[in-house]
Amino acid sequence: MKTITESDVDKGVISMKKLSLVLLVLLVVSAMFAQGTKESSDYKVYLITMDQMDQHWVNVDKGAQKAASELGGIEYKWLAPDVKDDAKQIECINNAVAGGADAILLAANGPNAVTAALKEAAGAGVIIIYVDSAANFPAVQTLATDNTAAGTTAGKEMLKELTAKGVKSGKIGVISVNSATASTVAREAGFRKAFEGTGFTILETQYCDGDAARSKDMSANFITQGVVGLFGANEGSTVGVGNAIAEAGKSVIGVGFDKSDMILSLIKNGYLLATMAQNPDVMGYEGMKTAYKALKGEKISPEYFDTGVSVLTKASL
Amino acid sequence: MLSVMKRPLKRILAIRGIAQVLTVTIGLIILCIVFGIMNPIFFSSRNVANLLRQIAPILLIGIGQSYVLITGNIDLSIGSVVGMSTMISATLMTKGMAPSAAVFITIICCLAVGLSNGLLVSFAKLPPFIATLGTMTIARGIAQIANNNYNTDSIGEAAQGFRDFFYYGKTLGLYNTIWIAILLWLIFNFLLTRTKSGRHIYAIGSNAEAARLSGVNLVSTTTKAYLVSAFVSCIVGLVTTATSGMGTMDAGNSYELYAVAASVIGGVSTLGGQGLLFGTVIGASIWGVLQNGLQFAGAPVAIRNIVIGVIVVVSVLLDVIVRSKNVAKKKKSASSM
Repeated sequence: MKTITESDVDKGVISMKKLSLVLLVLLVVSAMFAQGTKESSDYKVYLITMDQMDQHWVNVDKGAQKAASELGGIEYKWLAPDVKDDAKQIECINNAVAGGADAILLAANGPNAVTAALKEAAGAGVIIIYVDSAANFPAVQTLATDNTAAGTTAGKEMLKELTAKGVKSGKIGVISVNSATASTVAREAGFRKAFEGTGFTILETQYCDGDAARSKDMSANFITQGVVGLFGANEGSTVGVGNAIAEAGKSVIGVGFDKSDMILSLIKNGYLLATMAQNPDVMGYEGMKTAYKALKGEKISPEYFDTGVSVLTKASL
Repeated sequence: MLSVMKRPLKRILAIRGIAQVLTVTIGLIILCIVFGIMNPIFFSSRNVANLLRQIAPILLIGIGQSYVLITGNIDLSIGSVVGMSTMISATLMTKGMAPSAAVFITIICCLAVGLSNGLLVSFAKLPPFIATLGTMTIARGIAQIANNNYNTDSIGEAAQGFRDFFYYGKTLGLYNTIWIAILLWLIFNFLLTRTKSGRHIYAIGSNAEAARLSGVNLVSTTTKAYLVSAFVSCIVGLVTTATSGMGTMDAGNSYELYAVAASVIGGVSTLGGQGLLFGTVIGASIWGVLQNGLQFAGAPVAIRNIVIGVIVVVSVLLDVIVRSKNVAKKKKSASSM
């Protein structure tokens, strides 16, 4: 039996010091080790969309998955709120950063809602890439549909069909959402561009606020006026155009935008010639490739990547 | 002979507020002639049929807004109830529910909004502007949440009967939508002019306190007006679903203001107590004719907005001038006695 002496107490102090030293060493080693594993198993990339329900986002995810498995060594995860909600999207961004994201592919809910969260993410060294829609915060690249170019594609489709039917001149009606929505305004401008220098007159644009019933009324008026073609700049507008052509039973050429169950059935029944569908899978696929390149330290260009539109017709369905 | 002819004319001219209705009717006729000259298509049978069908929904919501305005209140929830009705009915039908059941449930939901409006305004004594502003946003929220923040899919082939009933079908050469509007107008005009409830609606609009003291139930009378408004909005929502074959969340956007415009152009006073549903027919027609005619004329949307705004202001101004003249006349005759 030993009695406790002062020196024993001193030893205890020493052993405490030793213990903390050991702990410190362990911490440093494990940190180095962790760094090492990161080097070997590559990157964590998160996709954050507006919600999980829409087929559009499911397709972005599919594209990103495909690229991740092709590139190899990427730990990929899709995060999204159950419904579109700014606070929930911010939460997703924070979770991704906390989860050790190296890059985030983001479809921003709005231009300003998530910028503070993005600032924090960028501060933590996360690379940000926008898919589908950008926010007001600098990112490596934005991959989205160039709406002006897509509108021109729609116009060319209509022109092709009119030419094939031997129609060389006439009036064409345009139905859009309102004069303030940037994407549809760009589509309309692109559509008009396709008819420059032809014998067709494009009438004053009608705005339906995205309401398919109002678009139907406006389209019916256009048909009464004797138009040869009708263009709808979004889902609601396009459905109205299709319904009006279906009712009038006239050979007016209808071309629209977006891919919904209703629009596809109007195309199948021959009331609409074509619809311009965005390519969400390309956004995911190319977005992932950009993320990989950026993480490798490569320089990324261009800043804006047009993922284009697919023209869906009766034949292609 | 002449005196027999004169008597009904005199009786018509004796109706309160008829002066403005006659004025705007003349305005409507002039408008039609001008558009007809500018573009002969305007009077083509196809366009007239389309035009009447375009006026029908505006007339329906106009009836609802007129009821509420005559009680001295306002209903801002009309457009959102249209959207809610569209989204609920379309969502139920895409989920495979029979159209008749879907219509029934939709009407119940919309009447619930009308009931809340009525009780908030008359029982809880909230200012009608605020109360219906609240239900307006709530109803729009319900429209959005009905199908999880998306427009619905197609209501499908099974609902073709529903689509024909409310929009595409014709009865005796007229589109069903027009018949629905005519029928509901006849019913609601009868209720407003020939029943006790109708007289109560005018009474509380003229002087709520006097009406209450003479035994009119403010709560039930006000609520009845809001129920009518919600009901006709619901029907317009169903017409919208039938038109589109799907539900759009944005359906009915700013319809409450179209309804105010149709009412006040037709001489319904925003101060309550005065208005004729025949005036609302003229108001809705002017609105519809302008939309249709100005599209044919190729007028930019901005110009159309300005024209419609000016007409709304001028017609209310007309009402105010006529009223102040009447007041002056009464004062004069009172002082001379």
